[in-house]
Amino acid sequence: MKKVLTIASRELGSCFHSWLGVLMAVLFFLISGIFFVILVLSYSKISMNPQQYGLSNFSGISQTQYIFGSFFSNVSIMLLFLVPIMTMRSFAEEKRQETLELLFTYPLSDYEIVAGKLLGILLFFAALVLPLAGYLAVFHWIGGEFDWGPVSLGFLGFWFLGTAYLSAGVFISSLTKSPIISALGTFGVLVVFWIFDWVDDVASGPWARIFSDLSPLAHYKNFTLGILDVQDLVYFGFFFFYFLFLTLRSIETRNWKS
Amino acid sequence: MGAMESSSSIKLDNVSKKYGAFHALRDVSFDVKEGEIVGFLGPNGAGKTTAMRILSGFFPPTSGRVFVCGVDMSKNPHKAKRAIGYLPETVSLYPDMKVLEYLRFVAKLKGVPAHEIRGHVRSKMSFCGLADSGHRLIGRLSKGYRQRVGLAQALVADPKVLILDEPTTGLDPTQIKEIRELIRALGQNRAVILSTHILPEVSMLCSRVMMINQGEILASGTVPELASCLQDREAIHIKITNKKDQERALKVLGGIPGVESLTVAEEVRGETFITFETSPDQDLRPCIMKLFVEQGISLSEIQRVQLSLEDIFLGLLKNGKLGRRFS
Repeated sequence: MKKVLTIASRELGSCFHSWLGVLMAVLFFLISGIFFVILVLSYSKISMNPQQYGLSNFSGISQTQYIFGSFFSNVSIMLLFLVPIMTMRSFAEEKRQETLELLFTYPLSDYEIVAGKLLGILLFFAALVLPLAGYLAVFHWIGGEFDWGPVSLGFLGFWFLGTAYLSAGVFISSLTKSPIISALGTFGVLVVFWIFDWVDDVASGPWARIFSDLSPLAHYKNFTLGILDVQDLVYFGFFFFYFLFLTLRSIETRNWKS
Repeated sequence: MGAMESSSSIKLDNVSKKYGAFHALRDVSFDVKEGEIVGFLGPNGAGKTTAMRILSGFFPPTSGRVFVCGVDMSKNPHKAKRAIGYLPETVSLYPDMKVLEYLRFVAKLKGVPAHEIRGHVRSKMSFCGLADSGHRLIGRLSKGYRQRVGLAQALVADPKVLILDEPTTGLDPTQIKEIRELIRALGQNRAVILSTHILPEVSMLCSRVMMINQGEILASGTVPELASCLQDREAIHIKITNKKDQERALKVLGGIPGVESLTVAEEVRGETFITFETSPDQDLRPCIMKLFVEQGISLSEIQRVQLSLEDIFLGLLKNGKLGRRFS
């Protein structure tokens, strides 16, 4: 476990050593901040005069749902761009620089290497997610009211969605020597998963049902609505560990590939 | 058997490595004892790096067993790997880390106890001449300094076995000299295996040489043994002026008993150089001249030369065997 932490802290350090990690964090906070401000302003505008917007009974719309529900679905789209950049360096960069070779000759198991790398990236992701709680403080300060349940579930769901995506990204990074290909590949895979969510709208029947059940967004939506379902937890857990397992298999291929 | 294994620091038992259908190593066995510096000699693609990667625990062999200080690599990889320091061919280090930071990272991964790390890393740095470079970024170091960091990294946790893949490639002459001195000092109480394709380096550093090609060990012996082998062989170079005579000349030479590894070395401006090996016991020159005169082949030069380590090596690569001594 100590070795996992050693690798994780190096991984986390490399995120902050490079301008890329800092740039990612800055962009993430900037864009999510803009989303938040727009949502708060539009909510307050509607609440002044709901009839003008065709809403006869405004009290039926909760602040939590309107602002944080939309906020979480907006930032989930940002993950499509963030995750490929966050994970592209994990294995691809080390393969390109051939630093991975030395790591394999140290007294470490493959599991410790993969777990350490993934943990380092998750810590970086935590450093992005936790400050979002600041928006809650701001919202409270300007006099907003929110339900703790749906908001904290929204955070939890965003965390699970992110970890699942990151696990997939690390796997794709372990397949290639090029960080750019890793980033493009991860983006492609995440977009495909994203599209799964639409299948339900355009088709019906058992196949459409399977696709929409496979969509991470469908499971994420439950969280943002304040619904905690064991199915969703199992889904994200499976997603995460399945790609972790694939990553382990992928780095084992050095044993028979030249 | 236990006693035998503990006496050798590194032992390979019938090790083979396959990449798909390609045999990178075939049934290789050898052992290296403490205090020995063994040179791996071979052309690019001979299997040197594959052998070193197996020794370093990067990947397991397809078949066969590897023992490090008596520990079976496949059964107890952590313990075996702790006894090994590895310097890969391309010394690739994290460019965004500082030297000190990087060596601490390595020490933690190799399981050096936390309270010893500071002193341990310091001592490796001063041994490799890095005492003042601790706070420099690895990415900004020169090739020679990066090689030193690579060596320091291999020395962390005081391994009993050092595996150095082409440790002097790409360095300038002063740096090469420094690295060689470090290796010589290290070889005194460790087992060192180094690969190289620089032949003089082998005679300078190594107590034993292993020649390897196409995944097989062609010859193995101490440097004096190889030197005595040199005295055992010699070459004759022939220059003929007329290119049209080449076919006939080769035919004549091929017919003489005692002529081995006959080759057309090069053709320059119509002149053809032919070389072959022979034993020094008999001088074939008069016989050749007589035959050439009979055939009407015009001979412009004939010369007897001692074989160098290079010639032996090249001959080995061509035929896969070496005279009587190391067959």
